[in-house]
Amino acid sequence: MTDENDMLIVRKIQEGTVIDRIPPGKALKVLEVLGIDSNYPYTVALAMRVPSRKMSLKDVVKIKGKALTEQEIQKLSFIAPTATVNIIENYNVKEKVLLKIPDHVEEFIDCLNPNCVSNTHEPIVSSFDIVSKNPLILRCTYCDRIIEQKHLTRKL
Amino acid sequence: MRPKHLFSVRDLSKEDMEGIFSLASTIENNPENFAKICEGKILANLFFEPSTRTRLSFESAMLRLGGQILGFSSAKVSSAAKGESIADTFRMINSYAHIAVIRHFIEGIGEIAQKFSTIPVLSGGTGTQEHPTQALLDMYTIHKEFRKFENLNIGVMGDLLYGRTIPSLLFSLTKYDNINVHLISPPALRIRKNVELRLQETGFDYQMTENLKEVIDELDVLYVTRIQKERFPDPIDYERLKGAYHIKSEDIQNAKDNLVILHPLPRVGEIDYEIDEHKSSRYFQQARNGVWVRMALILKFLDLD
Repeated sequence: MTDENDMLIVRKIQEGTVIDRIPPGKALKVLEVLGIDSNYPYTVALAMRVPSRKMSLKDVVKIKGKALTEQEIQKLSFIAPTATVNIIENYNVKEKVLLKIPDHVEEFIDCLNPNCVSNTHEPIVSSFDIVSKNPLILRCTYCDRIIEQKHLTRKL
Repeated sequence: MRPKHLFSVRDLSKEDMEGIFSLASTIENNPENFAKICEGKILANLFFEPSTRTRLSFESAMLRLGGQILGFSSAKVSSAAKGESIADTFRMINSYAHIAVIRHFIEGIGEIAQKFSTIPVLSGGTGTQEHPTQALLDMYTIHKEFRKFENLNIGVMGDLLYGRTIPSLLFSLTKYDNINVHLISPPALRIRKNVELRLQETGFDYQMTENLKEVIDELDVLYVTRIQKERFPDPIDYERLKGAYHIKSEDIQNAKDNLVILHPLPRVGEIDYEIDEHKSSRYFQQARNGVWVRMALILKFLDLD
């Protein structure tokens, strides 16, 4: 990578979000989960496997004009639990959010069990208790079925 | 009754269970004393999957208590066939009956009952998830035979993956100390991960084996289940595993004298007909016990005990 490209990656954004300390190789999944694709109208910078003092290698994503919702932050906590989310305003870090896997999540994950009531047209939303954070294990509050990290990466 | 509905035995305490067994025993000894207790009460049987014993024994139970019954025995004859939700079904039944029993292939409907049913709803089996009233009659039968659960050696054999009576039975057993459980199944039909996790959380210990021969001489109870053809995503897997077990007299010749063989029924070749006459067989008595246990459940959940 040239110095010029390095400059491009680290260039500050005026408004938006910087997601730092993403586990190496997960940056593309982070963008996917946040719904950022080729149609996104603003600057997106993505760096994969850059040297990191704390993590040895890390990914970094900078997204101009994007503020994360609470649900998006929850999603990130499952696929990139080591990441930090920096909210940028006027080129400065306005807030730093440390990701934390919640004890309970609703709506954004579908149960793996096709016969689970949460996968039908009943007036309810999917709902999971997190029974273990490391290794990650979620349990459907309806059918009791287990979701592990390997399943979750595919589901998100 | 502490929980309003019954979809998992995990919702019952040991005291709740013993209260049910005690009432069932009282009813069994003097059923005539209970013949009018449910006069004016209606039980709705909502069976979206086939059933013989569960549906009929609930009907028998309510009729013996002096109550009345209504319902359907197939999803095809209910508005579910038109796409009606379970939530709306519960909302309707609130106006038609005082207590309901539901069997459904969809799992996790206990939460729907919790939200939308104002009358008590008992599960008659939900998918592969649980069959709590079956477990209660299984436990009642074991208790009738041995007058205790502690220190019993219990073998649970067959389709532990898809059989819904298995999680309910195992969760019931976790409420007692010093029970030795042997799970006997081909590796492909071992208990599901979520059941394993639930057992771990209660500190419940069990052994796994593929071969009945290895443990038959230790067992006080052998609980056999059918390979659940209808739950296999791939029929080839069913064909491969369907004959995994077929118990004949010679298979239990090294068993203890007081071995008790149970089966939630229906059986499809797991127990040879010759065992029916064997001193260890109790599965038909077990099915009969379902009436007393379900009478007790109706009374408990209607607060008529």
